[in-house]
Amino acid sequence: MINLVQNEMTKLLGKRRFIIISVIILVLLSMFTYAQARQAETIKERLGTVDWRTELQQKIVDWQNRLSSAGQWREQLQIQIEQSQYYLDHDINPSEPGAPTFIRGFVENSAELFLPLLIMIIAVDLVSSERSMGTIKLLLTRPVSRFHILLSKYIALILSVSLVIFIFGLLSYIISAFMFGNQGWAAPVLTGFKVEGGELNISEVRLVSQWQYIIQQFGLAWFISLVVGTLSFMLSILMRSSAAGMGTMLACLIAGAILSNMVSSWTSAKYLFMVNLGLMNYVSGTAPPIEGMTLGFSLAVLAAWMLGSLVVSFAVFMRKDIY
Amino acid sequence: MHSKKVRIITVFAAFTCLLWIFGLGWTVKDYLIGAAHSAYSPPAADESAAQTNELKIIALGDSLTRGTGDIEGKGYVGYVTDQLKKEGLDVSLINLGIKGLTSERLAEQIKEKEIKRQIGQGDIILMTIGGNDLFLGGQTLTNITDDSISKLEEAYLSHLKAILADIRAVNTEATIYLLGLYDPFNEFPEGALTSKTVRGWNSKTMELLAEDSKAVFVPTYDLFQLNVNDYLFTDHFHPNEVGYRLMADRVAALITSGGGPR
Repeated sequence: MINLVQNEMTKLLGKRRFIIISVIILVLLSMFTYAQARQAETIKERLGTVDWRTELQQKIVDWQNRLSSAGQWREQLQIQIEQSQYYLDHDINPSEPGAPTFIRGFVENSAELFLPLLIMIIAVDLVSSERSMGTIKLLLTRPVSRFHILLSKYIALILSVSLVIFIFGLLSYIISAFMFGNQGWAAPVLTGFKVEGGELNISEVRLVSQWQYIIQQFGLAWFISLVVGTLSFMLSILMRSSAAGMGTMLACLIAGAILSNMVSSWTSAKYLFMVNLGLMNYVSGTAPPIEGMTLGFSLAVLAAWMLGSLVVSFAVFMRKDIY
Repeated sequence: MHSKKVRIITVFAAFTCLLWIFGLGWTVKDYLIGAAHSAYSPPAADESAAQTNELKIIALGDSLTRGTGDIEGKGYVGYVTDQLKKEGLDVSLINLGIKGLTSERLAEQIKEKEIKRQIGQGDIILMTIGGNDLFLGGQTLTNITDDSISKLEEAYLSHLKAILADIRAVNTEATIYLLGLYDPFNEFPEGALTSKTVRGWNSKTMELLAEDSKAVFVPTYDLFQLNVNDYLFTDHFHPNEVGYRLMADRVAALITSGGGPR
């Protein structure tokens, strides 16, 4: 079994996908860090100060001004204002300058779409490429069961997902530490904000260190990526063409991003996997796309989709005629 | 690819996998099962404001302070700052104006810790308030009676008094410039009546400010008295950029001549 997994890893590493992924991450990272550095400069210019309290207060006032014309975003904005006010009242800087804060924001924003896309690059042709290249016959003529072959592929996928998340974390650390400095790992982060009925519930708000918060975020990002990876894996078995698999998966992810903004009245949409990918929002305390969704619910839905697609993957792969 | 290298990478990937599972587990434990509440005591904030030569302007109030109606979105506050900069002063501006603010809500806003801190550091405080108290989005216009106006006025004056007291509690030095109301409706059929009301409102405000030697009432009524339509935005309530510039000229002149750089 270990040899099989290693065999799969050799194939994956040989495709140089990890290098492509690293380059994509690097390019995006340098753009984001540059943009953020510029933004900090503009704010400093506008307010004539680097005091975060002044900056945050200004943001709150700007949001309050937008409230009257916010329309459907009103609720979201109100929650944001209350949360920021809570930070201000407790004298905690929500964005302590430094690498950790950048990483925190970066993971939060990339977990839903960017990271899953990177994972898709690896997962979407894991099986279909072997079929289109014809190497699958060689693989199946070996004296191991089909179950073990697929299992080794799946384990290799899990390992790759973990590796991609690690590369993502490492690169963002290196670049942001270079741009913003390495301080702020122990800075306090407020967490446990809950949104109930459009109101911000602060009864369970507690304080965690930033490094702890980041590890938890990465855990969630890993899970989201794994779910998307597993679904892509299933598609690579069901579909002969990698392009078709990629297209299907992309459509789902983008549909999820759009749906999250407009499904609030279609409640049964909460069982769709793509609406549940915003796990980070529960931790940071923004309103869920559909009333009543919680972290536990979303985790359960995603796990169910993952298990389901695994069952389909194995059932199909073991029965399929390969020619 | 070398098989030893692959082995190392595979083992390493397995380690990172464990790390992320740990992170996920930790999240589940913290957010689903519940974490121990750690009592939090805020660190002692460093109140020592950096001493600089710059002139700190704090703007408080309603949509006029925010700049509603101005094409450039600066409002009189922005133009005042521009003019002072042109004079060669080092100015920093914090605009805390919120659209639709009434004196009651300003009195609440000013009680917030951070707002107080910022006011404490200000050299100049610019304010517009009361327009929303009086006009209530146009409702007052339809039924002006002396009785209803005096009720509004009374509430407004008591709030203004509280606001001034709160400002002075944290900052005894800063000069406060409160801009008076103008009458956007003076060319309407009821113009004579609204104008009279605004004049009365302004004079009471002025009387209240007179109790504080460093509070200046800046009239705007006269600026808009003639040709009011030339100075108003299309909503016929807020000033346009010309109107804002007129207001700003007046305030900037007051700051440069008197209460400005010390």
